Amino acid sequence: MGGNISQLEKELNCESLTVNEHYFGLVNFGNSCYCNSVLQALYFCRPFRQKVLEYKAKNKRVSQNKETLLTCLADLYHHIATQKKKTGTVAPKKFIARLKKENVVFDNFLQQDAHEFFNYLLNTIADLLAAEKSGNQTGPTDNNGKNNSDSNRTWIQDIFQGTLTNETRCLNCESLSSKDEDFLDLSVEIQQNTSITHCLRVFSNTETLSSEHKYYCENCCSKQEAQKRMRIKKLPMILALHLKRFKYMESQNRHTKISYRVVFPLELRLFNKASNKGGDDKLYDLVAVVIHCGPGPNRGHYITIVKSFGFWLLFDDEMVEKMDVSSIEDFYGITSDTQKSSESCYILLYQARESMLSS
Amino acid sequence: MNCSASAGQDSVSGATLLNPSTTGKEETVKCQFVTREGTYKLFKGDNCRTTVVGYTPQTNTPVKCSFSGDLICFNAAKELYVCNYKGIKNATDLNNPIDKRSYKGLYPTCHDFNVFADNVHLLVGLSAGQIQLMDPIKKEFCKLYNEERVIDKTKVTCIKWVPGSMNLFLVSHSSGQLYVYKEDLPCGSTTPHYQLFKQGEGFAIYTCKTKSTRNPLYRWVIGEGSINEIAFSPCSKYLATVSQDGFLRVFNYDTMELVGRVRSYFGGLLCICWSPDSKFVVVGGEDDLVTVWSLQEKRVIARGQGHKSWVNVVAFDPYTTTVRDAVDSANEAFGEESETPATRSENISHSLNDSNHLQHHSSTSSSSTIPSLNRNHCGSPSIEFNNHSTHLTCNTVNKSPIINSSRNSPSSIITSYRFGSVGQDTQLCLWELTEDIIKQPVGRSRTSILLHSPTNGSQHPLNSSSSHVSSSAQQSAYCSNLTSTDKCHNTLLPSQTGNCLPNNCNYLDPDVYTDHTTNTISSSTSSTGNNSFTNKHGQTRKEHKKNFSLASRNSDKNSLNKASHSKLNDDPIKLLGTSICPRLDEVPLLEPLICKKIAHERLTALVFKEDFFVTACQEGYIFTWVRPNKWENMQIAPSPIPSIDEEAALVDDNESTVV
Repeated sequence: MGGNISQLEKELNCESLTVNEHYFGLVNFGNSCYCNSVLQALYFCRPFRQKVLEYKAKNKRVSQNKETLLTCLADLYHHIATQKKKTGTVAPKKFIARLKKENVVFDNFLQQDAHEFFNYLLNTIADLLAAEKSGNQTGPTDNNGKNNSDSNRTWIQDIFQGTLTNETRCLNCESLSSKDEDFLDLSVEIQQNTSITHCLRVFSNTETLSSEHKYYCENCCSKQEAQKRMRIKKLPMILALHLKRFKYMESQNRHTKISYRVVFPLELRLFNKASNKGGDDKLYDLVAVVIHCGPGPNRGHYITIVKSFGFWLLFDDEMVEKMDVSSIEDFYGITSDTQKSSESCYILLYQARESMLSS
Repeated sequence: MNCSASAGQDSVSGATLLNPSTTGKEETVKCQFVTREGTYKLFKGDNCRTTVVGYTPQTNTPVKCSFSGDLICFNAAKELYVCNYKGIKNATDLNNPIDKRSYKGLYPTCHDFNVFADNVHLLVGLSAGQIQLMDPIKKEFCKLYNEERVIDKTKVTCIKWVPGSMNLFLVSHSSGQLYVYKEDLPCGSTTPHYQLFKQGEGFAIYTCKTKSTRNPLYRWVIGEGSINEIAFSPCSKYLATVSQDGFLRVFNYDTMELVGRVRSYFGGLLCICWSPDSKFVVVGGEDDLVTVWSLQEKRVIARGQGHKSWVNVVAFDPYTTTVRDAVDSANEAFGEESETPATRSENISHSLNDSNHLQHHSSTSSSSTIPSLNRNHCGSPSIEFNNHSTHLTCNTVNKSPIINSSRNSPSSIITSYRFGSVGQDTQLCLWELTEDIIKQPVGRSRTSILLHSPTNGSQHPLNSSSSHVSSSAQQSAYCSNLTSTDKCHNTLLPSQTGNCLPNNCNYLDPDVYTDHTTNTISSSTSSTGNNSFTNKHGQTRKEHKKNFSLASRNSDKNSLNKASHSKLNDDPIKLLGTSICPRLDEVPLLEPLICKKIAHERLTALVFKEDFFVTACQEGYIFTWVRPNKWENMQIAPSPIPSIDEEAALVDDNESTVV
């Protein structure tokens, strides 16, 4: 292990002397790689890390706060960010212990779903922040009625939240109704030999509601045939895409892994925007990928690749390695259908690019 | 898993289902497909799969094909094959190659034949940066360049002979550098020292600083990230490159000046092809799109959406490019089932010579011979693809195959270009670049989708309001502009190219469309004397400029000038909405004429030939697809199931689990 780390440090030193960044592996506490991989991916989402570290700084002043998942995360990130060395390993012991205490689902040594954890983590942090906010502003019991989305908006929403709009057009009266829905991440159905771009586009395909699925049109006051589609109304700062690789198979009465080859570009724009009015046409850069290795949801391993200062690193629990950008194609998935086991992308994190010369 | 390709379920008559067990769930792999000119069928004659040692689908070397006469060269995994390839005249056994090389520790990535040499000169680029030059027939010599890897250590991504040259070639690397080599020069054993020679926006050109001349002659540093493909224009004047940084860059090769740029919608650009007349460049990439750029107008004129994944190869099909002239003859040879009865009678595909591959330019290194850049043509609509004329007479005609069965317009211009693309989605798409797209005024915002081949309306419910542009209306609108009444003539070739067989050189002179119509380019080239043929040939054809709408030339020119003076301009966010990277609704979004899944693995090669076209996929399969009118004449009865049935069976077993 020591040899490996110094090797990485050597490589890093010749590449980027001035960069003050820390690349620390996370010790695995028995199948906790689902957690480690997500924590690493989020650590390299700069806006997220920044907010967590800010929280830590704020918390220091207040002190004596009770331990939450967020304080544990803040401590962990702070611990990594303040290391003297550039590389090494850290044991996220406190965080894992807290996680197991807070959610019975994770209170075991089984392999968990990284996306489930990702979701749980973001929602828990958002809830904690919202609670703190309302606790600070108003009385602890006085928040009924004021519970609209704005007052509950935290930096989790600022970073991850986008808005989908569900458009339904009645084929009888042509009236269009739309309903908005917020999301923190998008779960995407995948197909063999496609790109993530295509999978996202399919997601917005128009669907015709007919026969038993007819739509109740309020204008016509009756059930009518209609066309429905989902489009993205507001793009998030960080676009989290979850590839639905675990499918429930009725015949086998369990989830199996779909190892389809789905390519993802390092740079992404979305085709399925609700309107193409300029301004909000974000260009995304891939910043982190959580990869599932192995044959199925309950067997296997999670690793993470992240982009940091122009180069790519692979985090495999306590191991950290520099990797060539061309190796990313190893994680697209596989085209063979005989082989179920694969190292394939599972969660993609894209960050919206700021204009290079934003004036 | 409702993966119904929009254009994938149209009227394919009698398409063979390779996966009966998954019918209706998975898209089937097609062995034939119908276009308006007829049915294309997979040729069964070949033993089309090579036995690739150590092949795994994960192997990341795309199989590419190079042709020279009756020779095909292709790479698969760690091996390189050179075989006799007779197309559809004779079955080819790719398992009996003339030459087969296996590499250890590295693999071949790309190759190019020099069709101008007397012998077969084959260049092979390798994954560790080295370049081999060999004669696979005589096996006489084998030279190695960059052997010590001191010039570049990264993978060779593309290799091309300089058109018309016996000894100059270009090598691009994944390092983002492009080198000019001269065949007979040594490479040296130490890292070369370079000296800046020329610099422009996003690129710099260096010369090698040594006492004695040695390789490389030049080093071009282009953009950021890998240069994925390079292509000379058929007129050989321009060099175009596509890079991982998402840029297409078009250079005047001789003056080393940047002529134009395109930015992908997002992601890297992977492939590139010039139109046979050097007027358009098509690129494909990680945005799943094909993007068409006009050299004359210096702007993106259309995009095409049809692939479900990255586009690996784009190629113009000069043989089905539709042209029009005074010849009036109905052609019933294509009286096949047509997907688009409405348009069926309008455009009859026709032959050009094989000119969409760059290495066919016919000037010699001594430059004493000015090639006549005329177009080959057979005036009759008999689909007798004509070629290889070696006369030295000079005709004034530069336009070719001109047939329109339904309309007698007094002109001979290309009214519609056909190009194909293959991608990682295992699909083949054919596209048509029609007159209404080519001549569309700049700046007009288009929100409608042009359906060139209206397929099942129900498949595009949201497009129901989109306009299907009537091409006949468009045609008549433009006919009035046309003055040329040129008849068709055979192409004239310098005699020294007579031995290069099907890959003879027939070019339109692009200068007709560029230098003599836009000042931008001519000013940049006037400083050099290298393009002597420009003026000689351009003068006689000035009338052709009338064929183009020059509506916004001035504004385009301004923006180009501005671009070259300011430093920024690599910022894709800033470029969005400009002629370099228009927004999606600012240019027409084409739909493919056809879009077919034709393989189980991702497709990596597409080459159009006179009687057939060839595709290859990652597994090492080479497929030959016979053109419609050629099929009827063939001796061998078509078999419904091609020789990939073993594989099909294999897939059957496994795909049944896929829902």
